[in-house]
Amino acid sequence: MEDEKSFSDICGGRVVLRRRYYSPYCREFGLSSARLSLRSLTAVTCAVWLAAYGLFTLCENSMILSAAIFITIIGLLGYLHFVKIDQETLLIIDSLGIQMTSSYASGKESTTFIEMDKVKDVIINEAIYMQKVIYYLCILLKDPGKPHEISQVVPVFQSAKPRLDCLIEVYRSCQEILAHQKATSTSP
Amino acid sequence: MVENSPSPLPERAIYGFVLFLSSQFGFILYLVWAFIPESWLNSLGLTYWPQKYWAVALPVYLLIAVVIGYVLLFGINMMSTSPLNSIHTITDNYAKNQQWKNYQEDAIPALRDVPISEVNRMFFLETQELNTHN
Repeated sequence: MEDEKSFSDICGGRVVLRRRYYSPYCREFGLSSARLSLRSLTAVTCAVWLAAYGLFTLCENSMILSAAIFITIIGLLGYLHFVKIDQETLLIIDSLGIQMTSSYASGKESTTFIEMDKVKDVIINEAIYMQKVIYYLCILLKDPGKPHEISQVVPVFQSAKPRLDCLIEVYRSCQEILAHQKATSTSP
Repeated sequence: MVENSPSPLPERAIYGFVLFLSSQFGFILYLVWAFIPESWLNSLGLTYWPQKYWAVALPVYLLIAVVIGYVLLFGINMMSTSPLNSIHTITDNYAKNQQWKNYQEDAIPALRDVPISEVNRMFFLETQELNTHN
């Protein structure tokens, strides 16, 4: 089963949630944000080149112009490879664990996997972020030795930052799987 | 508590008057130092005083420090906000060590910190039942 739905993130931009149900208790949620727009790329390039040209007219050193071109190219490549995340996926497999993948605009993918033993719960938490209070989904981890204490908090969808309506959908789905996992794990 | 009341006392009156006199004296001294030419002060015998440059520089330093203080306070505030992956957004030592009181019939339940999983379940999982009750 696969469906797509459009939501908005905390800044008002558009994100698309894509849900795939591989089996009754193995689900994947992919959140794609908007790709790098031509408008913002043109604006940044024009700003940098105009500033470099202004500096050039001040100090008559032509190295500034070539340096500006170099900086723009290197900056764009670095931004696409290290900063711009196009899609984030959350894959929950009952009895195995939770896997988070981030794919960058240059094609790089970074993956984190958490075993089901370490997962205490998946919750929606509110916290202060810059000058706002935002809702964000996070995974609470527990130490296998101390099952009633929260050892770590792992936020997910950190670069897409969807709003509460999207988070509630993902939360409800995850809670179904976690409830099933607890029911089947308590019976040995 | 007799010691901590803000009422007027003879000692407080004396402190206030001493502060008033010394602040007025300090202000008159500052004006004298800033305006009277160096030669007149030297003729009176007061030779070893700081340069008059400081009469203008110190107030300017003070005002710039106040303006930077605004920016600094804002920055310190933002730096001490817990990051999103911090455990302090969920719980703290007081909540971990709280004691549980037994439930009594017809009494208001004791105040306690509800774990975040329960709060989440109540808010986001059971919305359908809440809507039908309303």
